[in-house]
Order: sequence, then C-alpha cells, then structure tokens
Amino acid sequence: MPHFAIRSCRLQRLGGRRGFRRGYDYECTGFRGTKLFLGFGGPMNRIFPLWFAALVALAGPSPADDLPAHPLPPEQVEFFENKVRPLLVENCFSCHSAAAEAEGNLMAGLRIDSLAGLLKGGDSGAAVVPGEPDKSLVVEAVRYANEDMAMPPEAKLRPDEIAVLTTWVQMGAPWPGSEVAEEASPTQARAPYDWEKIRREHWAFRPIVKPPVPAVQDGTWTRTEIDHFVLAGLEAAGLAPNLPAEKHLLIRRAALDLTGLPPTPEQVAAFLADDSPEAFAKVVDALLASDAYGERWARHWLDVARYSDVHGGFDAKAIASTWRYRDWVVQALNADLPYDQFLTRQIAGDLLEGVPDPAATGLFACGPTYSSDGGDAEAQAQAEAETLADRVDTFSRGLLGLTVACARCHDHKFDPITAKDYYAIAGVFRNTGLQDFPSAPQTEIDAYEAGQQSLKTQEKSIEKWLASTASRLGIEPAKLEQSIDESLKAELAELRADLERRKQAAPAMYATLTGLKDIGSADMPVALRGDLRKPGEMAPRRFLEIVAGADATSYALGSGRLELARSVVAPDNPLTPRVIVNRVWGWHFGKGLVRTPSNFGVLGDKPTHPELLDWLAADCVEHGWSLKRLHRQILLSSAWQVSSGFDAAKFARDGDNRLLWRMSPRKLEVEAWRDSLLAVTGELDRSVGGPPANEIWQSNRRTLYASTSRTGEVFHADRFLRMFDAPAAVSSAEQRVETTVPQQYLFMLNSPFMTGRAQVLGDSLRSLPGDLPEKIRLIYLRLYSRPPEPAEIALADAWLSADPSPHAWQRYAQVLLSAHELIQIE
Amino acid sequence: MQFLQHELAYRLARQRLSRRDALRAMGAGIGAIGLAATLGGTSAATAAGSPLAPKLPHFAPRAKRLIQLFMPGGPSQVDTFDHKPLLATHAGERPALVDRKSLRNTKMGLMPSPFGFKKYGQCGKWVSDIFPEVATCVDEISFIHSMHTDIPEHAGGILMTHLGSLQPNRPSLGSWLTYGLGSESENLPGFVAMSPRAQPRGKGACWGNAFLPGAYAGAYVNIQHMQPGAVISDLKSAGLSREQQAEQIELLTKINQLQLARMEQDQNLEAGIHALEMAFRMQLSVPEVFDVSQESEQTRRLYGDSEFGKGCLIARRLVEQGVRVVQLSHSIDGYDIAWDTGHENIVDGHAVLAKACDQGIAGLLRDLKGRGLLDETLVVWGGEFGRAPTSEGAKGRDHDHYGYTVWMAGGGVKKGYSHGATDEFGLSAVEQRVHVHDLNATILHLMGLDHERLTYRFSGRDYRLTDVHGHVVHDILA
Repeated sequence: MPHFAIRSCRLQRLGGRRGFRRGYDYECTGFRGTKLFLGFGGPMNRIFPLWFAALVALAGPSPADDLPAHPLPPEQVEFFENKVRPLLVENCFSCHSAAAEAEGNLMAGLRIDSLAGLLKGGDSGAAVVPGEPDKSLVVEAVRYANEDMAMPPEAKLRPDEIAVLTTWVQMGAPWPGSEVAEEASPTQARAPYDWEKIRREHWAFRPIVKPPVPAVQDGTWTRTEIDHFVLAGLEAAGLAPNLPAEKHLLIRRAALDLTGLPPTPEQVAAFLADDSPEAFAKVVDALLASDAYGERWARHWLDVARYSDVHGGFDAKAIASTWRYRDWVVQALNADLPYDQFLTRQIAGDLLEGVPDPAATGLFACGPTYSSDGGDAEAQAQAEAETLADRVDTFSRGLLGLTVACARCHDHKFDPITAKDYYAIAGVFRNTGLQDFPSAPQTEIDAYEAGQQSLKTQEKSIEKWLASTASRLGIEPAKLEQSIDESLKAELAELRADLERRKQAAPAMYATLTGLKDIGSADMPVALRGDLRKPGEMAPRRFLEIVAGADATSYALGSGRLELARSVVAPDNPLTPRVIVNRVWGWHFGKGLVRTPSNFGVLGDKPTHPELLDWLAADCVEHGWSLKRLHRQILLSSAWQVSSGFDAAKFARDGDNRLLWRMSPRKLEVEAWRDSLLAVTGELDRSVGGPPANEIWQSNRRTLYASTSRTGEVFHADRFLRMFDAPAAVSSAEQRVETTVPQQYLFMLNSPFMTGRAQVLGDSLRSLPGDLPEKIRLIYLRLYSRPPEPAEIALADAWLSADPSPHAWQRYAQVLLSAHELIQIE
Repeated sequence: MQFLQHELAYRLARQRLSRRDALRAMGAGIGAIGLAATLGGTSAATAAGSPLAPKLPHFAPRAKRLIQLFMPGGPSQVDTFDHKPLLATHAGERPALVDRKSLRNTKMGLMPSPFGFKKYGQCGKWVSDIFPEVATCVDEISFIHSMHTDIPEHAGGILMTHLGSLQPNRPSLGSWLTYGLGSESENLPGFVAMSPRAQPRGKGACWGNAFLPGAYAGAYVNIQHMQPGAVISDLKSAGLSREQQAEQIELLTKINQLQLARMEQDQNLEAGIHALEMAFRMQLSVPEVFDVSQESEQTRRLYGDSEFGKGCLIARRLVEQGVRVVQLSHSIDGYDIAWDTGHENIVDGHAVLAKACDQGIAGLLRDLKGRGLLDETLVVWGGEFGRAPTSEGAKGRDHDHYGYTVWMAGGGVKKGYSHGATDEFGLSAVEQRVHVHDLNATILHLMGLDHERLTYRFSGRDYRLTDVHGHVVHDILA
C-alpha cells in the first residue's frame, strides 16, 4: 500500500511539527481586519505619520535597499491582509517563522513571515521572485509540482488559495506592515516599536502636564475650571450650551446619578425652596455622604471588575465569600478611600504592612478560573493560560485602559505592548494563589481558637485516661471499656460528658473570605504562540515597557504584586489617573471624554477634550486621588447642570453631543431602576452589605445585593439583569449598552414584581388625602419629582372615574411605574 | 406652598411646548395598537430603531434561517456517518497512521464499529444502523467528514463550536446572526435555544451575547418541562383579560407619548413605544408557537415521541414564524454532554442517543421539505468533536478532535454530497480539512454574511465570530 505509506509519513510530520494549534491565535488583534489597517490613512496617520510611512516604505515590493517613495496602494494592502497573510499564517508559519526558529523547528532554513525572509530564501534559494510566479519556489511548492517540495505537507491548498499566492507574487509580492521591521532585526534584541516616538506622540502615553485653563468669551456661564474647557470647545464650534436644567430635574439627576435612587418629594421641595448659592452644593454633599452613594458607585466598579457570585470559567463553582469583596468596594467608596490605595489594596491588599486588607483582593481572587476536565497536559496548560488571560485582561483594561491580553500570542499589532510585557504581568499572577482569610473581629477568632483548644485538651485527657487505665489494669486497650467496673465507667462517662459540654460551648467557626496570597517568586517565560508548554525567552516580572521603560526594575518581592500595585499608581504612570477620571466622567455623562474607557490604545477613541482630561487627571492626583472631590467638581460645573433638552439645530451640528452642549438623556441602569421602583413604593430595604439574596424577587434590598452568576443562567437575577442590559460578568465591562426590547415591557406589564409594586402603590395612592387631582399631584411628585400636566390629570381622571375600584388604582399605578420617565435620567 | 412654587416654575418652563403639539403627539399611533395589535401576525416591517429590525445581508442569502442540531459530548464519526470498513480488518492493530501523539486515552488498538452499516439513497451513502431514519434522508445532506477543532475537551470544544473561541466571553453564533440579520418575526425572539433536560456544558455562553447588546442573546427553553413562560419571562398577565391589557397599554403609550412630546426627540423612548406594542403581540404568539398540539396527528407522528423529536417539531414551528436561529441540543438523561457516554462502551450510549434523536431529525428534514421550507432553512448536525477509532479500554472510545463529521442540509448546500475525508481509519481529517472557523464562516456565508465583515467594535477592537480565521467551504455550496 504505497499510498498508505506516504500518507502515514505526512501525518507523522504533521503530528510532530504542527504542534501549536490555531486556538492559540484567537486573541489576535485581527490582522486580517482590513478596516483597521486601512484606517491608518485617517487618524493613525496623524499619530504616527513618519513611523508608519517608514514601515510601509520598507515593505515595498523591491528589496530593502531600493525603497519605493510611496506607500503601497490600499487595494494591495487589503489584498495582502485579507488573502495572503492569513494563508501564510495558517499554512506556513508553523515551520517557517520566527516562532518556529525559536522552537528549533525552522524547516529548510526558510522564513516566510517576512518579505525579506522570502527574498533571502532557504536551503533551496530565494523563495519568491517578485513578479515572477513561475520562478518562485513558494508557488512551485504549493502547486505540488515537485514531489520533494510539496507544501504544505499535510494537504494541498485549494485552487483559489494557490491562485491567491500566484497573483500576489505576480503583483510584485507587496508586503505591508511591521514584519519587515522585525526582519530587519533577526535577533529579538531590537525593539519592535519606536518606543520614544510613541511615548511622545500617542496622547495616552504622554506625561500628564496640567494644562492652563483656557479663556472663554462668555464668562457668565463658567462656574468651574471644567466649564472653561467645555465652553472653549463649544465656542470654537459656534455652539452655545443649553440653558441650565430646571431645579427639579437637576436634583433628580443628581440623586439618580450619585445614589441610584430618586429624590424624595421632601428633598425636592427643600431644594426648590433654597435660594442660597450653595443650595445645590448642599444637595450634592448630602448625597455623597449617604451609604447609597457607595452602593450605586460600587456597581459601576463591579462592572469593570466583572464581579459575579460564581467563579465561572469552564465550570460554575460558587465562592461563598465574594460578597465580602463587594462590601469592601462599597465601604471603600463611601469612605472615599483614595483611588491609588483603592487599587493598591485590590492588587496586593494581603501584602500591606501594618493593616493588611485581604478582602480587597477579591478583584482577582474571585475571577473566572479555568480547569481542565480531562487532565491531560495540553488541556491543563490551556486552562491555566485562560485563567492568566483573565487576570491580565481585567488588570490591564480595567486599571490601565490597555488591551495587554492581545499580546498573549505575539507582540500587540497596534499598541506598543510586547508578548514579553504580557508574560511579565502574567508572571505576577502565576505566583499568586488563593487563601481563606479570617473575616471576623479578633475577639471572635480568639474565642474560636480557645474553644478548639479546650476540645483538644479534653480529648487528650480522655486518651490519656484510657491509656493509663489500660496499662494500670493490664487490659488490652481495645477491650478496656467492656472490662472496667461501674465506678471507672462513670469516671469515663463524666470525662466524655465534659467533652460534649465543651463542644456545645465552643464558638462556631468564624467567617472567612477568599483572598490572594503569594505562592512563589519565579519569572515565567514568554509562551510561544500563547502555548504555556512552549517556553520562549524569560519575561522578568516588571511593569509595561511603554510606561516603565526598558530598564525598569524587575519585581522581586514574592509574587511581585505589591510592586505591581506601586507601578500602577506611580507618579510617572499617566494611564491610571487618566483612566479613572475618564470612567468617572463617563458614569456622570453617559459617555467618557474618551469613549472607549477600557482602551486608550491607538485603536481606541481619542479624547473629545484632551486638555480637560489631563487637567482632571492632574488635579485628581494633586488632591490625593479623592473620588468624592472629583464627583463634586463635576456636579458643580455648569457643564453637568445644563438641560437635556433637544435642539434641532445643535443636534444637526453635534448629534453625538461630543461637545457637551446638553446633558444626553440616558436610560437608568437596571439596578437603579429596580431600586427606584422599590423606593417610590416605600418598600426599599436600605440595609447595607452582607451576603447576597439568591432569590432576588423575595428581597426588597437593593439590586446590588442579588446573587449573579457568570454564565447568566444560575440565579433569577441573571436573566432579569441581562434583559435590561447589565453586562455578562465574563470579562471586564467597558460600558453598558442601551437596548429596548419587548421582553422589557413584558416584565413591566406582567411580572409579579411589577404587579406587586403596583398593588402597594395603588393602595397607597388611593388612600392619599384630597381629591383625585390632588392625589395625582402627590404621586407625580413622588415618582417623577414634578407635578402632573393637565393632560396627565385628565388621563388619570378618565381611567379612575370610570372604575374607582382598588384594582383600577393598582392598574393605573402599574402604568405610572412602567413609564419611561422612571427609567431615564433627563 | 413649596409645591405650589415648584408647580409655577414648572409651568413657565413648559410654556414653550405648545399644547397642540403635545396632543398631536399623543394622538398619533394610538389607534394602531387597538386592532392591529390583537391580530398578532408576522411582519417583516419591524420598525427601525429596534435592535431586532431585519437588516440587509452582505449578499443574497442561500438560507434565511438556521437550525443547529447540536450533539454535545462528541458523537463517534466511525459509528455514525464516516464508514471505515478497514477497522474490521485491522482490529486491535495500531498502524502508524493512527499512532498519533494523542492527548487522550487512545493508546489501544483499532476497534471496529459494533454497528452495521448499509448503503442508502441515490448517492449511495454508508450510514450506521443506529441512524436508520436519517439514513433515508442522505440525498438531502452534505456530509463534512474532515472537521477538526482545537481542543479535545468538552467545555472548550463546545465553546469553540458555538463561539469560535475557547473562552466564554465571546458572542455565540446565533447571537452574531441575529445581530447581523435581525429577526423576521415581530412576535418572537430572534434566537431560541432549547434542550431536553440538561443544558449543554458551557450553558448560557452557547447562546449568550457576551459584549453584543442584550437583545441578541438567545432565549433558552428546557423542552422537558416546557412552558411558554420558560422561553419568555412574564408572558402572561396573572389577572387581566386581553382587553384590559390593551387598555393598560394604551394608557402607558399615552403617558410615554406625553413624555416624548416634552423631550421632543428621544430614540430610546421611540423604540420603547414600538417595543411595547410588540410585547403585546408576543403574549399570544409565543404560547401558540410552542403548542405542538396544534399540529396534525400525522405531523406529530413524523417526528416521533421523544423529547428531542418534540424539540425538532418546535424548531420547525419557530423558523416557520420567522425566528432566525434555533439551537436544539441533545440530552436524554440530564447529562450535559450526552454523547460522552461512549467512553466505556460505545454500544449502549450511542445506540440509545441515536434512537432518541433519529426520527426527530429525519422528521424535521422531511417536514421542512414537504412545506417548501428546506430550501431556505439551513440545518446543521454535529458535536464539538468526534471519537477515536482506537479503543479506550475494551469497548469505548475517547475524544478525537483531529477528525470528525458534521453534516448540513437545506438552504444552499449540495444534496447527497460528501466533503473531505479522514484517513483510512477515521482518526484525522486529511483531505479538504475544515476547521470549526471554516464551518462557521460557511454558515454565515450561506446566511448572506461575509464572516470578515460581520464585526462588532468592543473596547476599541473589531471582533468577529471567526476572529482572524475561517475560509468558506465553497465546495459544499450548491
């Protein structure tokens, strides 16, 4: 069977050499993404004009010493990126690339991962002769024209794929992009990025320098520095900001924004009656001082922290104590823990000297953790790699606004992040394990330990008594109890009864929480193509090179988490403060100044107000990283207080409201909406903290306290929250989307929760003092912070005068609770 | 007094809004609710602004709807549709061809299939005796025998199949399709996932939306204790008649339209007014579509009486109503990876599982064809990987991700066709290899979408179902 023999040979080669799997490529930044690549002609060009031009120039169809003056035509770039590169990556790179070389698997001395490699060729000479397919060995190989050189070995390419390669060589083998730059440095010593240039030119990496506050024409509008930056932008565009929001809307906006609950009619009335200049500042301060502030803003942070009460990963295992991390976040925000400490404790709270704070480390301790369900080495490596990817991704997108996880298999295609950077950070988490920490007062712990000690002592006494009695009487220990007399039996019984009494008296085990601990202090190697079983060069644990520089100190203390935390909040790291002030801005305005709050890289959005962003970041750090101060600063600005009113002319100019001419009306997050419903019916249980309620519909506590899972199918809250756009807790959420679907209205119309609230509200409405218009007026003030319009009273009148039964009132109440006005921030 | 002040200030502020405008806005569209809404028909004209409004594909689609018959656990290719007679002549041997460095417990010799195979149809396809009904449909089917995937473990393999990713944080295939194409039904979700008893491993991720908007998440229903309310929560009003509910909705619409008039323009609110109408219609259409008793005795007999068969019948009813994607996963015993019952003994597990789904699948194909729906409906059958031709222990087979079989039927695929091949013994795909990404690219292609252009920007990056991979398998296209 000669046919059989040949196949067999090929298969063995296939099994032996094509060791890495396509699965490891999946974190790729989409180098086939034509749009991304061609996008360089737009904003990218403004960022890296020279750098990019140089790369493209190097990549031209001629040898490198004969540089073309112009970049490749876009259609050639597109053809290459869409058709040629994927073919080469999938079919050739396993044996003919830098990675194959690093693994010692390079075949025939040929590298196909760069034009230079193809031109230089391998053992058989140049693999490509630009413009001459018939003279190019690579074309000959894929045509299977030569039995000794039929490539790829496991199966011939499809005719259309062969045609693509032929056409490409015919075109002159145009090769855009960075591969040529890499090829120019065959050793890995030379950096793949022009670090200094990127640090100088990409806004996010530039040092933060507090810019001067710009002058504006209309000095009457500006209240704070923020207003100068915003108005300067509007004036430059010839737009005027909206008028200030009406007072009742303003206090409603502030209360929903800061606490996720509507203001009470009394709070509204007090504010309307207060004509002092500090009236609104007093409102803001009171809101910031309430527990509800921490509960509301913890939910924002928990989106970033992909918080869930269930481990997740391949399997869903619950962690009993994740809520302690949730409570920690609430308390930290309410205490206005400075943001640098807020992060430091979440990364390394267990390692802090003096007062360790392990509860804070739930950010990483409670993340999705993958395990192998078959136990083979490959799957175990895969599982560990996925777990590390979650940690690096949450850490880098959440805290730094960088997509470091994209560098898991190769250097980042767009941002200055090397695979070495990825494994430098991953190494920190690889040396980190889990530990149960006591989560109780020391007295409780001491009492427990004392109780256990007392048990042990008594158990020992009994053992001792048995042994000594046995030896004294010369009885075999196993037969002792049957052989002793009544008085001895009574003595033993008393000893045992005492043990029983001690058991009863011993305090129960104190509460614990799952946190991080160091389990090692070893660097890890770069995993070639993301495969942990294929070690490349070592990646000493240290901070990202783009921020910390090439000669940054490596981490040496245990896992390196404490040093990592210090790097995150170091004064020369411009990312951390920019990221947090932008997030806070986004949670106040619906959109950040940078509208991709978790991606400050070159593919992210650019800031609408770069100077304002830097001013806020610098100011925040100068003032001790206080978030409450930042909230106050924002809410007291004229920019935040403008009305959300529609204006056709301004809308036509800036429909996306990038210049902030109005407050964009937005939908309330589902948690705040449900909490508002319970608040206006007077049922909201305001107790703060503690274990979650697994059954959300049997709890009147804030939605924050309902159990949620990562897979989204475990608890009742999962389905409800997802229906109203809460993010799936599978990875750090950048920002929420707003969708409107019929299921949301079915919930409003039919759910027991809504009908239940409607009954409560309907009954209370009916029993309010006064005639119908007065009742309606009071209920509108309670629900919407405003009196009803005549048309609204007329609707109520038409509904209720026909049928004044309790049921009719309840139905009317349900409509009011379902109104759009209650699920939006105006 | 304070309230009075408040009220005055409020009135002043609202003066700019003329009452005439407000009333006009209030009147518009309300009439539409009353009658039209109670009819509950299907219409392609879903209002713009709804995330599920139908969208134009990239090019003319070959199929409008997808039914995924997912076989979690890994059905064995050599015991179902990939006939390997050489296994019998080489039983117990371990030829070099199958002596691959394996990740799994496949270190024993070759094990012949315990099942007989017969030739069926005009195409002369060999099919195992455990699929006698599907065997009669082979002239409608394109078999892909050269499937391969990345990982021989269930969780990862299942996620790869549905998400094109080993991590559960990417949108599912059905979610991508509803995002790309919207739904043709105004009364039903765009994407319905079903299984009898256990959900497949990976659970919600298999029909999840990840970072796509929540509207594109699949709605899951367990067929075993199936209630329409399990598909769509809160479908039924506990205490109101349909007329009463219509009144309720009319009042809510009026109140929302007053708010819209105050705001002059608000996309969310406009979409909400439309969604409310649709919600009203769904209350009738959802229970109806899941009520298989409305089918004739003859039709029900076509599908058999297994739970999976019932799922197949519901799948047909759903796509008939314009649902874009139906995912039906197999399970007979509450096991989330049903077909994994082949480790110890391939006979028991596979024979029972095949029996539980064979008639339902064949019934679905015949019924779709009889109703003229098969040409527009793509049916895909398969698991997350296959099982090795070498034995695990004496009678069982372990996972095989190097080669396995998936088949497709209906919209746009060749009939009575077999694509690619595993080696002589069925371990590895060797000819015209098709990766999961290629399969997904092909499914999108058949539905009129270019897998490289169907992207969603999240965190500054354009994501795709096929990531940076995938080639359309053109050979399989009719």
